[in-house]
Amino acid sequence: MANDNAAEGQSGPFDPTTASRQEIMATFLANDLEDGEILQIGAAMPVGEVAVRLAHFSHGPNMELIFIGARMNAAHLDVLPTPEFGWDRRTVRWAESYSDTGHRFDRVKDWHRRVFFVGGVQVDPYGNTNLIGVGDDHRRLRFRGPGSVGTSTLATLVGRYHIVLNSHTARTFVPRCDFVSAYGWGQGGADARTKLGLPGGGPKYCVTPLGVMDFAPDTKRMRLRSRHPGVSVEEIQANTGFDLDVGREVPTTPLPTPAQLEIIRTRADRRGALRH
Amino acid sequence: MNTGAHVSSATRHENIVEEADAATWVSDGMILAIGDPAPMAMIRQIIRRGVKELTVVGSGLALDLLIAAGCVRRTMAYYVGGGSGGAVAPSFRRAAEQGEIEVWECEEGILTTGLRAAAQGLPFLPWRGGVGTSLPEVNPDLKVIVDPIKGQTLIAVPAIEPDVAILHAAVSDAYGNVQHCGGPGWLDLFLQRAADRTIVQVEKIISNEEIRANPWATTIARADAVVRAPYGAHPFYSRGYYVQDRAFTRLYVEAASAAASSEDRSLLDHFLARYVYEPQTHGDYLEAVGVKQLIALYEY
Repeated sequence: MANDNAAEGQSGPFDPTTASRQEIMATFLANDLEDGEILQIGAAMPVGEVAVRLAHFSHGPNMELIFIGARMNAAHLDVLPTPEFGWDRRTVRWAESYSDTGHRFDRVKDWHRRVFFVGGVQVDPYGNTNLIGVGDDHRRLRFRGPGSVGTSTLATLVGRYHIVLNSHTARTFVPRCDFVSAYGWGQGGADARTKLGLPGGGPKYCVTPLGVMDFAPDTKRMRLRSRHPGVSVEEIQANTGFDLDVGREVPTTPLPTPAQLEIIRTRADRRGALRH
Repeated sequence: MNTGAHVSSATRHENIVEEADAATWVSDGMILAIGDPAPMAMIRQIIRRGVKELTVVGSGLALDLLIAAGCVRRTMAYYVGGGSGGAVAPSFRRAAEQGEIEVWECEEGILTTGLRAAAQGLPFLPWRGGVGTSLPEVNPDLKVIVDPIKGQTLIAVPAIEPDVAILHAAVSDAYGNVQHCGGPGWLDLFLQRAADRTIVQVEKIISNEEIRANPWATTIARADAVVRAPYGAHPFYSRGYYVQDRAFTRLYVEAASAAASSEDRSLLDHFLARYVYEPQTHGDYLEAVGVKQLIALYEY
C-alpha cells in the first residue's frame, strides 16, 4: 500500500505506465494532429475517435471534428459524447452542422486540411489498403470484406491520413494487397501519387497494437518507426508478412503524459473503449 | 379550352398509397434503391411479395435482410457492415463468397457520382476518388479516362438509374411533399433524384397547411407515393422519433450469422417467419415486436 501511495504521489491516478496499447496508439495519433485541422472520423474506429478528442481537448480548440456527417467543435464541453453513429440524433445534437454523404463531396477544396484514418483487412509495404476482400477471384472471394466505404475518395483527396489497424499479423501485413480500395503509395517512389495526379498527401503513419510505421521519403516503403513498450522488433517483424525497414535503434513509442491520460480517461474515452 | 365546369370538378391528385399497393411497383430484376434510415416496412412488404433478382443500391443490415430472403442478384453498395455484430454483414458475406450474388464494387464518392449522372440525364460523370485502386479492375463499368480539358486521369462513372427508390422520412403531406427531421437521410436525396419513381414511407402524414408553414424544410417535393409507416424504420433509427433497437438487430445478426456459418438456417427461417412473412401488414409487424419494446426506443 505504501508503495502504491508513493507512486500515486508522483504521477497521480493517471500513471503513464498503466496506459493500454490502444491508449498509446491514440496518444501517438493525437500528437500528430494540429490545431485548425479538420478531422474526419468514420464508424467503428475507437482509437481514431479518442485520438481526435484528446487532440481537441489538449491542444486543438480550433479543430473541426466530423463524426460521419456531424461537424462539431466541442472545445467548450467537458466531455464529448461518444457517438455510436454520426447520423444518430444523439450525436448530431452536439454538431454545428450536418451533411448527408452525397453533399459532402460538393466541396473538396479544403480537404487538404482534412485528416482521417483508414482501416483495412490488408495493408502492403507501400501503404495501400484493402477493404474489398481476400482471394484471387473477385467473384469468389475467400473472405468478403465490408466494402470501401468512402476511403477511396478520402485517400485520394485529404491532406494526409493514417492507417490504423486493430491487429498486426502476417495475414494483415502482406507483400501485395489482393485488392486495393485506398491508394497509398502505389508501387513506391516519391512520385507515386503525383504521377497519377492525386492531390492528397497520402498515408503518413501506420499505427497498430505493436508499433508505429512510417514511409521512407524516397522509396515510400514502410519502415518501423517505433515499437510500443514491451514489444520487441523481432515480434513486429515476425508478425509482418514482408521485410520492414528497421533502423539500427528503434525507440519505444512515447507514453501519454499524465495530463494526456487524464483527458483520455475522464473526457475523451469515459466509456473506456481503449482499456478493454 | 377547359370549361369552367371541368376546372371546378378537377381535384388535386393525392399520393398516399397502401403499403401492399406500393410494393407492387417493385418487380423481378429491377434496380431498387433503399435509403438510410432504412424503409423497413416497405422492405418487409417487398420480401413478402417474393420479388427476385433485384439489383439493390443500399447498405448495411437492411440490404443484408433482402439478401437473406433471397431477393437479391446484385448489390451496388459502398459498405455492408454488420452493425455491432461484426465487420461484415453475415448474409452479404456468405452470398458474395459463394458467388450467389454479384457485387458491383463501388465506394461512396463513386456511387454518389453515378447517381448524380442519372439525375442529370448524363451517361456518366467523372470522379477522381479511386484513381489507382482496384475498383476499375473489379468493376469494368468504371472506366479510367483521360479528361479532354486538362489531361488528368479520372474515373468515368456510368449513370446509376434505379427503377424505384424507397426512403423513410419523418412527415409528408398527401401530395408527397416530404420533410425530414434533422436533415435528409444519408444518400436519400441522391437516390430520389436518380430514380424513375420514389416511394417515401413516413412516420406521420401531416396537412398541406403544415408543409406550407415552412416550405424551406421540404426536402423532397412530389414523392410519387407516400406510405403511412409509424415506426416504419424499426429496428433502425428514425431521427426525431426513435433510436436503433440494438437488441433486435442483434437477434437478426445472430440468426443470419448462424445460417451463414453452417448449413443450419432454422434460426434465420424462424426470424423471417415471425417478423417478415407472418405479419401481413406493417401493423401486424409492430404487434409482433410489441409495444413495450417499441416505446422503450422513444427516448434519447
